[in-house]
Amino acid sequence: MTALAVVIALAPLAGPAAALAGARARLAGAAQAGGGAAALGCAIALLVTLSGGRPLQGWDGFLYADTLSGFFLLTVAAVTLLAALGSVSYIGAQEDSGELGGLQVRLYYTFFGLFAALMLGSLETGNLGLLFVLVEASTLASAALVGLEGRARSLEAAWKYIIISSLGVTIALAGTLFLFYSASALHPASNLGLTWPYLIAHAPALAPQSLRLAFLLAVVGYGTKVGLVPMHTWLPDAHAEAPSPASAMLSAALLNTGMYAIIRFLALANARLGTTYPRAVLLSFGFASILIGALFMVRKGNFKRLFAYSSVEHMGIIAVALGFGGLLGLYGALLQVLNHALAKTVLFLNSGDVSLRYKTREAAGVTGLLAAVPLTGGVLLLGAFAVLGSPPFGVFLSELTIVRAGFAHGSPAFPLLLLALLGVAFFGFARTVSAMVTGPPPAPPSPVPEPVLVGHTAAPDGQAAVPAAAPAVAVAPPAALASPYRDRTAVAATAVPLLLGLAALLVLGLWIPAGLDTVLRQAAAVIG
Amino acid sequence: MQYLSNSSTAGVLLDLSGALILLLAFACLASKLFNRYVAYYGAQSVVLAFAAGVSAAAFHSTELWILAALTLAVKGIAIPVAARRLLVTRLALKRDAAMSTGLSTSLVAGGALTAFAYLVTRPALLPQGSAAAAVVPLSTAVILLGALAMVVRRHTVAQLIGWLIVENGVFLGAITLVATFPFIVEAGIFLDIVAGVLIMLVFVSGITRQLAQASAAELRELRG
Repeated sequence: MTALAVVIALAPLAGPAAALAGARARLAGAAQAGGGAAALGCAIALLVTLSGGRPLQGWDGFLYADTLSGFFLLTVAAVTLLAALGSVSYIGAQEDSGELGGLQVRLYYTFFGLFAALMLGSLETGNLGLLFVLVEASTLASAALVGLEGRARSLEAAWKYIIISSLGVTIALAGTLFLFYSASALHPASNLGLTWPYLIAHAPALAPQSLRLAFLLAVVGYGTKVGLVPMHTWLPDAHAEAPSPASAMLSAALLNTGMYAIIRFLALANARLGTTYPRAVLLSFGFASILIGALFMVRKGNFKRLFAYSSVEHMGIIAVALGFGGLLGLYGALLQVLNHALAKTVLFLNSGDVSLRYKTREAAGVTGLLAAVPLTGGVLLLGAFAVLGSPPFGVFLSELTIVRAGFAHGSPAFPLLLLALLGVAFFGFARTVSAMVTGPPPAPPSPVPEPVLVGHTAAPDGQAAVPAAAPAVAVAPPAALASPYRDRTAVAATAVPLLLGLAALLVLGLWIPAGLDTVLRQAAAVIG
Repeated sequence: MQYLSNSSTAGVLLDLSGALILLLAFACLASKLFNRYVAYYGAQSVVLAFAAGVSAAAFHSTELWILAALTLAVKGIAIPVAARRLLVTRLALKRDAAMSTGLSTSLVAGGALTAFAYLVTRPALLPQGSAAAAVVPLSTAVILLGALAMVVRRHTVAQLIGWLIVENGVFLGAITLVATFPFIVEAGIFLDIVAGVLIMLVFVSGITRQLAQASAAELRELRG
């Protein structure tokens, strides 16, 4: 079991190894995807072992995995695999078009693999101090991805991301200090006081006052990584500026890793303080996130920002579900983690395809996707329905479970408010996406502005040849929708992760495998 | 776990250092000139290193001695010198006018945050009569003041130093409250690495050019 856990965390480093050895985009991408597949395979094997028996413990508590960590490992490994597959075509196309240089491609795969490895590692440790270090290190690795394109906007986004996340994680360190302090009555030998399994076993002996403070600081601190409002301000910028597969990693893997850290603190708080106080904290941050996410989704603009605000909304839903609690709420929260991760990976990978073809990230610049590129348009439409919680996709099932949990525990006002906000989000998201997929494809020969400008400035010089050249520009083929990919194989390669993700979502919407059901029940029992 | 009493020599010294660190955080908040802002931060880190040394002597802890030396070398000397060289010498930037609120407003807000820190950390949380009971509210206030400095300063490097003030606050709390915290040195080294990466980022990236235009207020393209 220990070997499996080690392989999971190290397998994504295959990409960096290939990139540093000098492989070009497609080969490094294939290595990254191979590493992702190995990590996913080992995560499934580990989860099967964990769900049948005892948690994995070793190395003085630095290595610890129970069903809860196994479930998050499965999610993050699946996202890593899909995003690596998406990188093969996206980064490959960018390398072909010369938008990314050789160094940038190598940097991309180096930090992509490092980022994945750090996240998977942070899900496997029982030591909350090491968790802090790994989460902060993953901030650095992913900030390099956000700033990869090197434009002023992406550097600004990377700076904002790094400085806000670092502040957040420093607050989480303060929370970890107070947690350690709350265990001081136990006189733990140095590292034990930070080891989660030891703390949960001795939860009744924790000092409640400082545990309350520790939980609140952890929610604020790690909540910065999760993107809970009002600590979410870095999130739309970073998601919009990162290369699309990296946005998928941020939205579907990083946010969940932050949520995992909060859940570890939540389990301790539930065990010692009861559910009232954690529920108040989580419902406040959760509803604030859903409200802000939904309202900003109504605004039109950059479609990657739209998806990012949808992530804020979904993280809010997960926080609310954790707040509702009970088996139903926790089960729904975890299922929502997996479903949202799959749906958002599909959407962000697809957005990469859209932005390569239309050369824009503004929703207003994209029309007629369904007619122009049926596959991309269809995936965008289905992915949007999936993420908005329409049947028959998985998100519908998990959101239904969460609303049921809300009615089962406490005032019906909360689930009703949740439903109303989901309606607002549906309206905002569907409005933008429907405008993107329907309508006529972009009118082909919109004259490119620069050549016309050259014609005008040249005209006063009295050169007769210049006006004659202008119509030639106008009949040039529509550059906007030229395929950005090298050949048909490359186009087919883009579809693979999208269809895999959608298929998984569809399966999860129709049928939850018995093994997954067991895992979710066990993981919910870990939280309390 | 053992506690320092607030009447022991070490307790008194820690209390005094905490008060000085808070005062220097206020000085940072109030300084208009960039080089003074950096100098006050450096002084604060030197005091923190002294406090870590006091705690190390009281608890006979090798880890805390390492932390003290590290704090002195990196935060007390290296970071202020690097920031000064980068901004004052190389970019000839003396005045950090970029504050999003008035000076008096930010000082009043700082005072309010200090009062708030006392409100949240005083009751029943800390053992009566210990040095921690006196220092932890101070360190909480320093954390909040650092965060406030990050909010009101528009300069990227000033924001970075605001974050480092937050870090100083966290470590001040750590050395008095949980001197046996096992991850203290690792966390310290690690956060120093992060700070180093950020400073290098400012050095090598286009953000430097934007800084040369006197303010990072131009970093406002991304909104909404």
